[in-house]
This record gives sequence, structure tokens and C-alpha cells, in this order.
Amino acid sequence: MSLRLASFGLRGFVGQSLTIRTVMDFAAAYGTFVDGGKLLLARDTRYSSPMLHSAVLSALVSCGCEVVDLGICPTPMLQFAVKPFRAAGGVSITGGHNGMGWNSLTLIGPDGAFIAPVGGETVLDLFHAGDFLRKRSGSIGRVQEVGDLADAYFTSLARHIDVEAIRNAAFTVMIDPLVGAGSPYLKTFAHEFGFNLIAVNDQPSGYLPREAEPRPRSALQMASFIRHVKGQVGFVLNSDMSRMSMVTEAGEPTSEEYTFAVIADYILRRKPGTVVTNSCTTRCIDDLAARHHCRVVKTQVGQAYIHAALEDEGGVIGGEGSGGVMLPAFNRGFDGFLMMALVLEAMAVRNRPLSGLIHDLPQYHIVKRSVTCGSRRGYGAIEHIRGQRDAFAGAVAFDTTDGFRIDWEDGWLHARASDTEQIVRVISESVQREKAEKNADRMVRMIGASL
Amino acid sequence: MSERTPQSIKEALKVGVSGVRGVVGVSFTPQLAATFAQAFGTFVGPGPVLIARDTRPTGAMIEHAVVAGLQSVGCAPVLTGICPTPTLLMMVPGTGARGGIAITASHNPADWNALKFIGPDGLFLSESRAQELFDVYHQQDFPLVPENEIRRIRTDPYPTEEHFKRILKFVDVRSIRRRRLKVAIDCCNGVGALYSPFLLGTLLGCEVYPVFDTPSGQFEREPEPLPQHLGRLSRTVLEHRCDIGFAQDPDGDRLAIVDDQGQPIGEDLTLALAVWQVLEAHGRGPVCVNVPTSKAVDLIAAKYQCPVVRTRIGEINVAEAMLKHGAVVGGENIGGVMISRIHPCRDSFAGMAVILEMLASRSERVSDLVGSLPRFVIARGKVPIRAEQAPPILRHIRHAHDPARINLLDGLFIDLDHGWVHVRRSNTESVMRVTAEAEGAEQAAALVEHYTRMIREQIRVMT
Repeated sequence: MSLRLASFGLRGFVGQSLTIRTVMDFAAAYGTFVDGGKLLLARDTRYSSPMLHSAVLSALVSCGCEVVDLGICPTPMLQFAVKPFRAAGGVSITGGHNGMGWNSLTLIGPDGAFIAPVGGETVLDLFHAGDFLRKRSGSIGRVQEVGDLADAYFTSLARHIDVEAIRNAAFTVMIDPLVGAGSPYLKTFAHEFGFNLIAVNDQPSGYLPREAEPRPRSALQMASFIRHVKGQVGFVLNSDMSRMSMVTEAGEPTSEEYTFAVIADYILRRKPGTVVTNSCTTRCIDDLAARHHCRVVKTQVGQAYIHAALEDEGGVIGGEGSGGVMLPAFNRGFDGFLMMALVLEAMAVRNRPLSGLIHDLPQYHIVKRSVTCGSRRGYGAIEHIRGQRDAFAGAVAFDTTDGFRIDWEDGWLHARASDTEQIVRVISESVQREKAEKNADRMVRMIGASL
Repeated sequence: MSERTPQSIKEALKVGVSGVRGVVGVSFTPQLAATFAQAFGTFVGPGPVLIARDTRPTGAMIEHAVVAGLQSVGCAPVLTGICPTPTLLMMVPGTGARGGIAITASHNPADWNALKFIGPDGLFLSESRAQELFDVYHQQDFPLVPENEIRRIRTDPYPTEEHFKRILKFVDVRSIRRRRLKVAIDCCNGVGALYSPFLLGTLLGCEVYPVFDTPSGQFEREPEPLPQHLGRLSRTVLEHRCDIGFAQDPDGDRLAIVDDQGQPIGEDLTLALAVWQVLEAHGRGPVCVNVPTSKAVDLIAAKYQCPVVRTRIGEINVAEAMLKHGAVVGGENIGGVMISRIHPCRDSFAGMAVILEMLASRSERVSDLVGSLPRFVIARGKVPIRAEQAPPILRHIRHAHDPARINLLDGLFIDLDHGWVHVRRSNTESVMRVTAEAEGAEQAAALVEHYTRMIREQIRVMT
């Protein structure tokens, strides 16, 4: 099983690639990087999270860091809290969208965003050098436990949302937080924003009752009974509330690509501005931006890159096709509560059901496939296919920002080795479903051949 | 310690039969503690492991590391929080735990911390078992468990319940309560601050005058309960006309006594008084003590026709001898009272209860009892050395003496006509310790001076 050391954090399989020793050294590297400054610490509810929490806490304190321990807390809530606490950053322990057995440390910088790639590389250098700040007894860090973060967070979120409209619509909303970090906060959320909550999988646990990645397949439980409980919309989230997919009032699970599209459509109608997304998100975003006369900036895949581009380009909204949306005016991370609130607001203000909001979007068919292979071989295969450009007849553009992307007039095809899993992801989109599938199958075959 | 000893040697990690100890942030880190906890969990196998800590400011940090280490190899950590070391030792067998880890540097300064490892029998790991543990540590090949086999943390909020029950069963509580003794207690800002006033006042009915009783880990006196560190306790005893003053170390295993005149009687005599009372009131049997224990204990035991067995220094060595010989009482010269029927471990709480029972059953005051003992005086000295210098030094001294007077159980023990001399390398510091007992302070000091000079000269010769 692989260990992923990326600039924004560390991810691996617990007991195999992810050991407490690695986690402690990585945390100590970050504690050293912030020079023993104040750090927030949050975790989700995975079985290994309390253990990793103890390990990280101990290591940070040994570097002299004052640790504000948020306990079970979604990553976006921690990101929100960094500034009010005047902290040097934070560490979030979460399995995220990965399956059982996985866990990760995500490093948050002083602005509340994923640590910028340059800073993250310094942390990695410190980690590899193994030369950490080690404070003596009198100057180790203190631990402060905080329990009432939700109030401040939801109060602030409400300032960016038309709560009155949502309250008047009196929606019945299903939410599935994957028994994760969001679970304890749903009732407060529903109360503050005035909707009738039907929660599923909301008893915090390390046992995952469904696939962790928000996508149509993981929404099947909810889709099977949303009509019976008269739910008007359903939200499916991951362990730390950073990704989301949706279920319509008719019980139809929608592609996670629509999360960003629905929200971007609503935001750009009200407040046009620059949109930031990655190079493998639905072309629907480009069409929407064009419709509202807005600019689209494309980045590598990953929250850190989306945030960096939002900063650089002064963007109003950023997001990824995997189901993450960020509104820099409110929070510097993909935020599940924000996403839910914005979708509810869009439904209320535009007086349209979710199926209607989706119907208003430019229509594309997107197909996602994956090829299992080790990361080094995955990179090699993509490198090889880059050399076969001639095989893609009629292409109008080739792009190698992140992996390999081919664009045609009526669609595109993208292949990329995942940063978080041992797979090559293939995404194909076209106005016609058959064409999207044909292109995806072809890419999978090409990867298989070059492996 | 000498000014010339390099800081790196003074603060180096010490790994040995008394566990793993070092200066936090220098030689002792959370990463090290977590890895040792993994080794210990691997060594004892998956199951509950009890964890206690003293009041040191770094205790909670190290506890988190130990918890993570144990969980990663499938053990279930049971937290007893701030809890005396003897309490933890006796909890292990009764709770079905696989073992225990005490996070305490005992009498070392506040900026030290340590892990002490306890086996399923409730005793510290013996030298050979500790060696096996260190082998597991060095191999670094731990059976890390998958996520769904990680066991939850449990807590035990009332850890001393069983310990105090045993003490109350052992001593004559009614007669102690009836005397309403006035007792001063110096808790050294350690674990005793949480438990000693309760035991002495609430359970044993004494009038208690506590000092240094904030469990802060900011030691307001030197943590080793030596006579020169007990000034505040002495003044408290005199001010309130107390019958006795007790002083503990930070983790509650060692006990020193100040008499009714405000005089520290010396840790050696703590053990002598306790042995006296146990043999008088709780049955006869062999007495097991470590090598440098005062000859006063031999004379008391002789009065009750009980043999004395001397063992190597180290609590586990005395404990094993007590079990082997069926001893009722034993201990170490550093104020370590061990009573088999409570638990064969150094226990300041048991020591206090037994000595209060002694006072309650007699008309003499502590100063009278001490005055009635033969007057031996112990003097101590130490010389900083490097570990590799110890064997040639010991060999040199040994060859200068009649072999019949030499005992090599632990370092070098030289039996003299009117006392003894003991030279050994410390387990916990980079020093050679010289201890001498004689029938007078000057004679004892002269013996220490003679042997420390021999050691210094030998170091000079070698370097």
C-alpha cells in the first residue's frame, strides 16, 4: 500500500504505509516549520483517527506549539477557525474520500487554506532531514480544548447566505455525512438555516456504511427512499465535509460534477467574476462562464492549486469536478456546509427544484474510469501516451498541465495518475453519451497497452 | 555532578533495568516514547495496558505518545491519569492487564521524564525481561494492526481504591484513628498531593499539615527526599508540634521521615522503622533488603530471630527475593518500604500507614524510637565517570582488599568490622556512587573520602 507525501500533507494505509512514527515526524516537521507557533488540530471519526490525534498532539507539543484541540471537527470548519484564533495554521486528520483503512494529515496554512506548495515542500524537507524543534520541559506547548466552534462558524456562514429565503421555503433535506466529522453538527446547521433535516449515517463511527467518495454510486441508499420521506434534496458527503454529491427530489443520484456546476451557475448569475477550476472538470463550467461573460482559469488538480489561483486571479468562486466548492469571501477551503447552503439558497431564490437547476445547465455526458496501477507505472504510461498525439484525430488542443488532456469541438478526454490513490483516472466528456464512452474505453485500452 | 562532565553525558538517554529515562527535548522525545510503547505492546501482546503518570509538565505529552504507540500494535490503553507508581504496580494483576507503563522520572529533576515497564505480575520487568524488551525495540519490527483492530482508550477515574483498601486491611486502622496523630506531609508537588492528605486525614484520622501539596509538577523542593531538602517540612513539624513529618518523591514510591524534633532521620531509617513494626505486629519471616541497607536493619531482624537476605540494588531484585524467600517485609535503603501482603513494591503510602501504626501502638515518640536504635551513620559521595571506566575502577579497588570481605552482587560491597563500603556505577546517572556506613559521622565521611579519592586517582591514571 502506498504512502503519499504531498506538499499539502501525508496520506497512507494505517499500519502499513502510514505508521505513527511517520505521522509524528511529519507533525514535528510542521511544528518546526511554524517555529512552535499556535496550531489548530481536528480529526474525523475513522477508527484510526483518535490514535493519530494522540500522536500528532504529542509531536506538536514537543515542538513548543500551542495546540487548539477542536476534537471531532470537519476540515473546512478548522480552515475557517485559523484566522479568528490567530493561529499559524492547522492539522486535520481525516480519511476524506478514501476507503476504510486509509487516513491522512492535511496541513492548513495561516490563511486557512491548504498550505501553499512552496511551504509544503519545506515541510517535506524538514521531515526528510528529521531535524525537528525539540523543546525542554518548561517550554513545551500547551493544549487548549475548544468545544463551541460551531456557533461562530454558522453565524459567519449565515452572513453569506440568504437564510430568510431558505427558511421560508421550509425544505425537507436529507444529509448523509458518512458517519464522519460533520455528523455532530447537522442539527445545529438545520436549526440555524431553517430546514427540516432527515439525516442518515449520522452516528459518528469508524465503520463506513457506504463508499466514501461522493458520487452517484454512494448515493444509492439515499436515492432509494428520498421520495418516501418527501425529501426535496439530498446531500452526500465525505468524512471531513470537503466533497459533496447530490440526489434530486425524484430520487435520482446526480454526478458529483453537478455540485460545482449548479453552485457556479447560481453565483455567476448574481455576481459575475473569475472562475477557477482544474483541467479535468466538466466543460459545463466553461460554457456557464461564457454564458455570464466570465473568465475561467484552469489549474492542476488539487485544492491548494485552486486556492492559489483564486488568490492570484482575484476569483469569486473555485471548485473541482470531484465535488468541492470554495467561496474565498467566506472560507479558504472546499466547504460542505457552504455547498449545501448555496444549493438550498439557489433552490429557494430561483424557486426551482434541484432537477430544474440541473436541467438549466449546459448538457454534457461525463464518463469516469480508473485503471489500477502503481503510481510510478501510471506516470510512465501517461508519458508514453503523450507521445502518441497523432492517434487522436480531429483534436483541437492538447494540454499537459496535469496529466494529459485532449480537446475536441464536442468534448474532451483526460488521463492523470491520482495523487491520493494507486490509480490512473480517466475522464471523458462529450455532448453524446456514446462518444464519451467510446473515448474513455479507448484511453483505458491505451493505458493498459503501455503498462 | 562535576562541572567538567559534558552536558551531553549528563543529559544522555539512560536505558536499563529502571526503564528508559532522559531529559525531555534533549534525549527523551515523544517519538522515542511511542516507539518504546510499541516495543512494549509487542512484547506483552495485544490486550489492556495500564498507564500512569506523575505530575511532571511533560507527562501528558508523553502519555499521548505512549497511547498512540500501544494502540498501533493492538493494545488497549487504560489511563489512570496522575497516579502513584506503587498503585499502578498493584493494579496490573487484578485487572487482567498485560502490563503497565509508568511515566515518571521518579526522583530525577523536573525536566527529566521516563518510562518504567511493568509485567503482567505487577512487578517491574526483571533485568533479563527488560533486555528482551530492548531487543524488540531495537529490531523495530512491530506487528502494526489494521485500522479496525485499533482498541479504544479507557480511563480508570479511581485508581487508588484497591491500593488503599489493601493498606487499610493491613494496618490497625482503629488504633491509628483513636490517636489522632498530628502529621506533616511534604508531597513534593507530585502524585502524593492528590492522595496523601486523603489517606492520612480522611482514612487514617490524622490531623494533616500538608506542604508542597499542589500537584503541579513544578517541584518547589529538590525531588529526592534527602535530609538537606526537607527544611520546609521540618519547620512545619515544629510549628504545629507534629508527631511526625513524611516526605515523598514525585511518584510516591520513596518515603523520608522527619521526627517530632524536626530532625530528618535519614532515608535508611525509614526502612529500619518499617521493618521493626512489621516484624513486631504482622508476623516474622526473612527480611530482604538491597546491599547498601543500614546494619540497623540486621540488628532489628536479629532481635526477632529473622534472617536478612541482601540483594542487588533495584526494586525488582528485592521484590523477586521477597517472593522467593517468603519475606513479609523488605525494601531499599533509599526510603523504599516493601510489604508483601500489600504488594512487593516500594510504597510510600504503605510505609506511612505502618509507621503511624507503630506510633499509635507505643508511647515513645519518633525521636525516642530512633534514639533507641544503634547509631550507624551513612555517608555518600559520587564521582562522575564514563560507563566504560567503571569495570577497571572496580577491579582496581577489589584487588586492594581481602577477598573474604568482598561481595560482588552489585558493584563492590566491602564488609568492614564496624560498617561497610559500597561502590557501584549508578543505573540512572553517569556517576560512580560511594556509600559507607560506620559508627559515627566522621568515620563514615572518612571512608567515603578515602574511596572517592581512590576512584579519582584511578581515572587520572587511565586518562
